[in-house]
Amino acid sequence: MSLEKKRPFTVRIVENRKLSPSTYLIILERPNDFPDPYPGQFISVRVNDQTVPLLRRPFGIMDINSETMTILVKAVGPGSTILASKAAGEQVEMAGPLGGMPFSRPGGKDVVFVGGGTGLGPIIFCARSWKREATVGKMHLFIGAQTKEELLEGLYEKDFDQVYTATIDGSSGHKGNIVELLEEEIEKGGIPAAILYSCGPRPMIRALIDRVGPKFENHYTSLESVMACSLGACRGCTVPVIEDGEKTLRSVCMEGTVFRAEDIDWEEWE
Amino acid sequence: MSDNNDIGLKIGDACFANPVFLASGPAGYGIEYANYLDITKVGGIVTKTISFEPRKGNPGVRLQETPSGLLNSIGLENVGAEYFFREKIPVLVSAGVKPVISVAAEDWGDYRKLIDFIARQENIEIIELNLSCPNVERGGMAVGSNPSLLGRYVRHAKDLLPRIAILAKLTPNVSDIARLALAAEEAGADGITAINTVIGMDIDISRAKPVFKRVRAGLSGPAIRPVALDAVWRIARTVDIPVIGVGGISSVDDALKFFMAGASGIQVGTALFYDPGLPARIIEKLEAGGIPPAIKYSVDKTERKDDDGTAPHNSST
Repeated sequence: MSLEKKRPFTVRIVENRKLSPSTYLIILERPNDFPDPYPGQFISVRVNDQTVPLLRRPFGIMDINSETMTILVKAVGPGSTILASKAAGEQVEMAGPLGGMPFSRPGGKDVVFVGGGTGLGPIIFCARSWKREATVGKMHLFIGAQTKEELLEGLYEKDFDQVYTATIDGSSGHKGNIVELLEEEIEKGGIPAAILYSCGPRPMIRALIDRVGPKFENHYTSLESVMACSLGACRGCTVPVIEDGEKTLRSVCMEGTVFRAEDIDWEEWE
Repeated sequence: MSDNNDIGLKIGDACFANPVFLASGPAGYGIEYANYLDITKVGGIVTKTISFEPRKGNPGVRLQETPSGLLNSIGLENVGAEYFFREKIPVLVSAGVKPVISVAAEDWGDYRKLIDFIARQENIEIIELNLSCPNVERGGMAVGSNPSLLGRYVRHAKDLLPRIAILAKLTPNVSDIARLALAAEEAGADGITAINTVIGMDIDISRAKPVFKRVRAGLSGPAIRPVALDAVWRIARTVDIPVIGVGGISSVDDALKFFMAGASGIQVGTALFYDPGLPARIIEKLEAGGIPPAIKYSVDKTERKDDDGTAPHNSST
């Protein structure tokens, strides 16, 4: 087990910028001894010192530098709503970087990223990390949302070679869901059969596996789960997987958050 | 930390530097929290419940937050006794931690195998019998809610493990937890841990289904603290062996209340998830100010009855 420092740190909010009706970009100060995270890692934030909400909330790291780190927060439940309401200067307690072992780098291959909801944060971090390391070929982003506002345009275009958008209401890009758009683009022959990296709602990941998975060499997906300890201790956030024909459970917090999509046992994982 | 007061605790022949423990379940196998807190400073760590064979635990959703509480349906997932004693215990011991080994069994035969196995291990000072987990089909609460069955399990452990202290962890999902405590004491238990989780459930309205595949789950966290405190209060006035209070402790003051209710020790469980510094703050407070004495309040002791655990007739009303 890694004995890197993960102890809770009290950090100041440097900036809280509202990007859409429900999504906030929150910049936190980075503690001096906060280790460099790698793609797929997250922090867990205690949003107040009360017992409602009770648990810390996990947020994928979107960006980090020597002074600050950035997360995307979608105000959907009580925890994220409280965090989204905080102003610059306020303090929160957080622990990290959390998450398991680094997953394979693309080794110079092209990568197709597919994101929805708050899945965008970890995707941006992954793309920036790989670009910095020069371990990746071309990077395509497929990003889906309900409306144009929720696409958060302007946040990520420079990080990718090509960006494709879809909105359910048709207010920007393809009208419909992002998996349909990816399917269409694959049909046209414009998408390389390389690495697929997805992060978003469970139905989106399931649809990717069913409809486009076989077109790619590998499909990695970053999963979300309700987490309690975030340390692999409580076994509350497990996901059923099949590895070498054996059914087993892996904790999202320590053995994830990134899994090979084909390993997930969807029959078990409702 | 200062060292003004002796806050050591003795349970049977097992001695602890202080009476603050990490509770079974949230604390995992003990070592996981090394990044969050100094695990050598707590009195002991009650390790994740082990069974003789490994258990996969429950399928589906395992956690659901409630107001000031947490429902879990983990189902005693564990690595099994052999792996645990070979791989987990040495790590804990070499880290300078005192393990309290939590054990559970599917049935009597399984239990006997587990106790036999423990009898062959070395340097174990104390075990906690988890005969009260609501998240398993067999064993668990079915045993722990029946005084005579509970007594049988405790007595067997005492007979086979004469040098090991036995804690019996009790379920609150009964009409009279004090009767269970009495049954455990009469069977030779060296201490009582109270309480295990309170049964609850939740419904996912979007799917029109229960949240958990097993429907019922175990509630922990501050929401159950009054229930736990009441259980400790009653048990401490019923038995003479030490009572370890657990259930929703989320501040130093909460811990003090448990001592005042009559607990000799406390365990921090769910609070580890959001405030891992709490055990150290409790220890610091106890070292500085001592352990508050139990409130003196006389009640009749629960009378012994060989029945099915129904509440005893209280003639003092």
